[in-house]
Amino acid sequence: MKEALRLMGLFKPAWPWVLLGIFLALITILANVSLMALSGWFIAAMAIAGAAGASMNYFTPAGAIRGLSIARTAGRYFERLVTHAATFRMLARLRHWFYLKLEPLAPAGLQGYHSGDLLNRISSDIDKLENLYLRILTPFTVAFLSSAVFAAFLAWLNPLYAIIVVTLLAIAGIAIPLLAERLGRQPGEEIAQLTRSLRTVVVDGVQGMAELEVYGQTEQQKHKIEQLSLRLLACQRKLANYAGLVQAATGLCANLTMWLLLLAAIPEVNRGELPPAQLSMLALFALAAFESILPLPLAMQTWGETKTAAQRLFAIADTPPPIAEPEAPKAIPTTLDIHFDEVWLTYPGAQNPALKGVTLDIPQGSSLGIVGATGSGKSSLTNLLLRFYEPDRGQVMLGGIALPALHTEALRAQLAVVPQRAHLFNTSIEQNLLLANPEASQAQIEQACRLACIHDFIIAQPEGYLTEVGETGVKVSGGQARRIAIARALLKNAPILILDEPAEGLDAATEQAVIDNLLQAAKDKTVVLITHRPAGLEQLDQIVVMHQGKITERGTHTQLLATAPIYQALFNRFSEIPSTLPS
Amino acid sequence: MLRIKAQRAGNGSVLGKHCNTGARQAPSNVKRNIKAMTPKELLDSLKPQAGQHLRTAVILGLLAGWVIILQAWLLARVINGVIFDAQTLSDVWLLLALLLGLFALRFSLTWASERVAFKAAADVKHTLRTRLYGQITKIGPVLRDDLTAATVSTSLLEGIEALEAYFSRYLPAMSLVALIPLSIVAVILPFDWKSALIMLLTAPLIPIFMIMIGKGTERLNQRQWKKLALMSGHFLDMIQGLTTLKLFNASRREAQTVAAISDDYGRETMVVLRVAFLSSAVLEFVATVSIAMIAVTIGFRLLFGHMDFLYGFYVLLLAPEFYLPLRSMGTHYHARMEAIGAAENIALALDTPIDPAREIESEHRIQAPVKITARELTFHYPGARVALQQLDFEIAAGERVAIVGPSGAGKSTLANLLLGFITPQAGALLFNDTDVRSLALATRQALISWVPQQPRLFMGTIADNIRLGNPAASDAEVTAAAQQAAAHDFITRLNQGYATPTGELGAGLSGGEIQRIALARAFLKNAPILLLDEATASLDPESEAAITQAMEAIRRDTTLIVIAHRLTTVTRMDRILVMDQGRVVQAGTHTALLAEAGLYRTLVQSYGFGAQS
Repeated sequence: MKEALRLMGLFKPAWPWVLLGIFLALITILANVSLMALSGWFIAAMAIAGAAGASMNYFTPAGAIRGLSIARTAGRYFERLVTHAATFRMLARLRHWFYLKLEPLAPAGLQGYHSGDLLNRISSDIDKLENLYLRILTPFTVAFLSSAVFAAFLAWLNPLYAIIVVTLLAIAGIAIPLLAERLGRQPGEEIAQLTRSLRTVVVDGVQGMAELEVYGQTEQQKHKIEQLSLRLLACQRKLANYAGLVQAATGLCANLTMWLLLLAAIPEVNRGELPPAQLSMLALFALAAFESILPLPLAMQTWGETKTAAQRLFAIADTPPPIAEPEAPKAIPTTLDIHFDEVWLTYPGAQNPALKGVTLDIPQGSSLGIVGATGSGKSSLTNLLLRFYEPDRGQVMLGGIALPALHTEALRAQLAVVPQRAHLFNTSIEQNLLLANPEASQAQIEQACRLACIHDFIIAQPEGYLTEVGETGVKVSGGQARRIAIARALLKNAPILILDEPAEGLDAATEQAVIDNLLQAAKDKTVVLITHRPAGLEQLDQIVVMHQGKITERGTHTQLLATAPIYQALFNRFSEIPSTLPS
Repeated sequence: MLRIKAQRAGNGSVLGKHCNTGARQAPSNVKRNIKAMTPKELLDSLKPQAGQHLRTAVILGLLAGWVIILQAWLLARVINGVIFDAQTLSDVWLLLALLLGLFALRFSLTWASERVAFKAAADVKHTLRTRLYGQITKIGPVLRDDLTAATVSTSLLEGIEALEAYFSRYLPAMSLVALIPLSIVAVILPFDWKSALIMLLTAPLIPIFMIMIGKGTERLNQRQWKKLALMSGHFLDMIQGLTTLKLFNASRREAQTVAAISDDYGRETMVVLRVAFLSSAVLEFVATVSIAMIAVTIGFRLLFGHMDFLYGFYVLLLAPEFYLPLRSMGTHYHARMEAIGAAENIALALDTPIDPAREIESEHRIQAPVKITARELTFHYPGARVALQQLDFEIAAGERVAIVGPSGAGKSTLANLLLGFITPQAGALLFNDTDVRSLALATRQALISWVPQQPRLFMGTIADNIRLGNPAASDAEVTAAAQQAAAHDFITRLNQGYATPTGELGAGLSGGEIQRIALARAFLKNAPILLLDEATASLDPESEAAITQAMEAIRRDTTLIVIAHRLTTVTRMDRILVMDQGRVVQAGTHTALLAEAGLYRTLVQSYGFGAQS
């Protein structure tokens, strides 16, 4: 309930629509029930009048029947329109609200969510919340309000009728769904669990097919899939069984209501206390009234999922931002020397520190190479410089000012970064580039792309710069995506350029050309090149070798080549040798 | 402002886009069937499997419909008796008791038909899942271009689940949609042909309208679902790229976009929904107005004494039941759309022909050690340039050979051929002078241990993953293999040691450590050929050293083939095959090759600073 109230609080501006939707849904239900009840009364009254040879004013009820049938159809149509419009408004607000909550958390606060899977879940959790209004709030409110109207009408005829109807509506609308939810909880959880297992085994079986085949395990994997599939079906059968039971029981309740009403009303008709025409009205009324509680079992079931989704989202939204902005930020200094002073960094949840006391100076306009194996802490230096993370100990300074004293956006404006995993958005190449500098001219864009050796590829595409890159850039190759990211960073034209393994996925010839271009274009800038490949290193002012979170060697290319074994090992590989080599 | 284009709907799949092997396409000598199976044909072909349960579900549903007809009759009798014959409870008690019995019967029938309908779908789902996975394993690890690991996994999971409603709801409902209304008409025709006529005239309007409007709205509806999917796809794109947005100080700027795009899509979708809802409103209108019409005409006939109340009331009770199956057709139609959508990819996979070379049956065996000979092997991927061109080489039994060459030289294709994932278009591959085409696939593969470039850790414990090499191996043998692969030490350092579940490790193991587990797996298999595809990415120095050392310890009668990326590896081999553009262009020892002018020397000189000579 807490979650529902908080969500509805977020949706305040959509309330008029919400209430209008509920009102229309109520009208629809009432029109339908009245239509059935009135029809029942009408033909009985007409028959009684006919049998007695009496005359009867049939214009009013016949007109009302026509009117109600139109009201019912129109009500239903507008109800669906309004409730959907309201839902879209809510979802738009919700996405915006959640994005604003999420934005300060990235990336440190979202570290646990880094796999695509979890981000996927956030996204589908938000989609699930559309159920709150359409499938939970509206049905429950309408069921409650319409039941109240039914009860009032029946109580006016005879309080006993009202008691019968309300009791059975409550059983069918509350007790049965609650019972079904209780019964379905365990198989439901089991289904979620088994679905996850089945997914793992299927993905193992498909993506790992080559290894399974060579190791003769194909049949075993098939057996595993079969077993999990059977267990999943067994649980689904239980749920289907309960769903069938609920459906049958709801129908039974409607029938019993009618039956009990007959039992109560027949003696009244016999005694002349109830006009006979109202007997047929009551019978049809009872059957129709149950329409209002039909969506409730599903609503109850949906509520469980929606609540979990809401709890997960609120848990994220309530996470305090890991990086605080300074209250009175200092201005960006005039010189941009970078200084790491004995910095230690442990990522949240990690056992060992990623950086163990790193001290490093990068004077403005100089160039630095950072080399080392995967996991040696190279990228952690960038993460600290961008203030994506705070060091455990030590500090990072820019032009003599400690980073926490600078506004993060002002700080990041000084840095152009090609991260290891640059995200390309599902839009055109041009839009992806303009992200760095929305005012960039076409000439500037092309210049950046030429330097990144990607211009020729882009103009060779039928749509040129308007080519779509696809979801997470799937329509371009890894190497092309990389070069688009490089061009994007160049377009930002910031005084400090950080390249984190920029040549990954490029062949050696392109790699050499891109690195040469970059170093040439950035010769007046501070350049940090993080790499585990040899290209370009000989052109840099200084190189540090990192190993297990520490700087183990420092010097120029020539010095390190002579003295540092780890550095030498870098050159001991054939990877991605180009097919055409300069002789 | 970032704008997404309507090109791909749906959330990005979290699954990988390709299989483990380097190549992604099936060989072109395997032709696709001329006539592809349509999704509809696939669904039709599955019906017999659901057959018995489906028929039972329809019969139960029909019986429930007849119970309603009977129940309405009893109810009409009771009310008629009380109103017109002044009957009391004691007069109608039998009818009331019978009604209670019918309620119970209807309860049982409804419940039973739901259970049976589920069974019908469950059988189809299970059989199809097994069949589809079986088919995928027959096609083999080198999947076709349009059959990615991601789409196949989605088909096996969500795709098959999407068929449930088709079999458990849509098909039974489609059978009942004619049976129940016709039963009702048959019952009331003898005493009220006018109402029966109204029903018969208006009923076809519903499917006619549905088809007329449906044709248009179906497209609109699909577009609407795509749009909804796109909207959440966009949001996912934004949160996945949040760090990148921050790099460009664009993350706050984009907050407005999130709201604007959601609003836009909401508005656009509403335009579609306005029409879509209108169509169902028309259907409801037809049904509701028809019932009202029936009620009013009955009323007048009753007033003028042309009809008995008993029959009039009976017809009024049945009228809504007559239109109900027709009205609910629209809701079930959605199940059909979803099923057809899901069936498309399933049909594609089931339709993919199987390379006959992968289905050879043979008792023939090869004795260790194994000599490998390639004679004029030629292979090309469909629509692509030739990957291997009349490749010739011989690797002696127990020889240690490195294969080097620039990317695109054909190294991965050669590995795929050795492993039996693909079949050459021309030429032959011989193991101990026996053409591999005379061996069953499993026999062939039993001869090879393989460490891929990016080995996979499967669900299970570390020990399970090593034991993949030999499921019958004892704990001691597993440990010995791990020791040989220099993996034992880091495994025992894990909290649960060999019993550590891989799922919980996540990123906890480095690439090098995973390589060593895969190496242990390969050692445990102890096959006469070991094929090692060296990782191109840099491993941690400890792993690099450990793997080099482990390779030294390989039994001398094992034929070792390493697709090498490191000079240290290459220099330790008996012989090096240098590949370029699908051929072996040089062969010899490291020293001999360095001495001659050629690709190898160029490779080493431009890259191989570490060459000690």
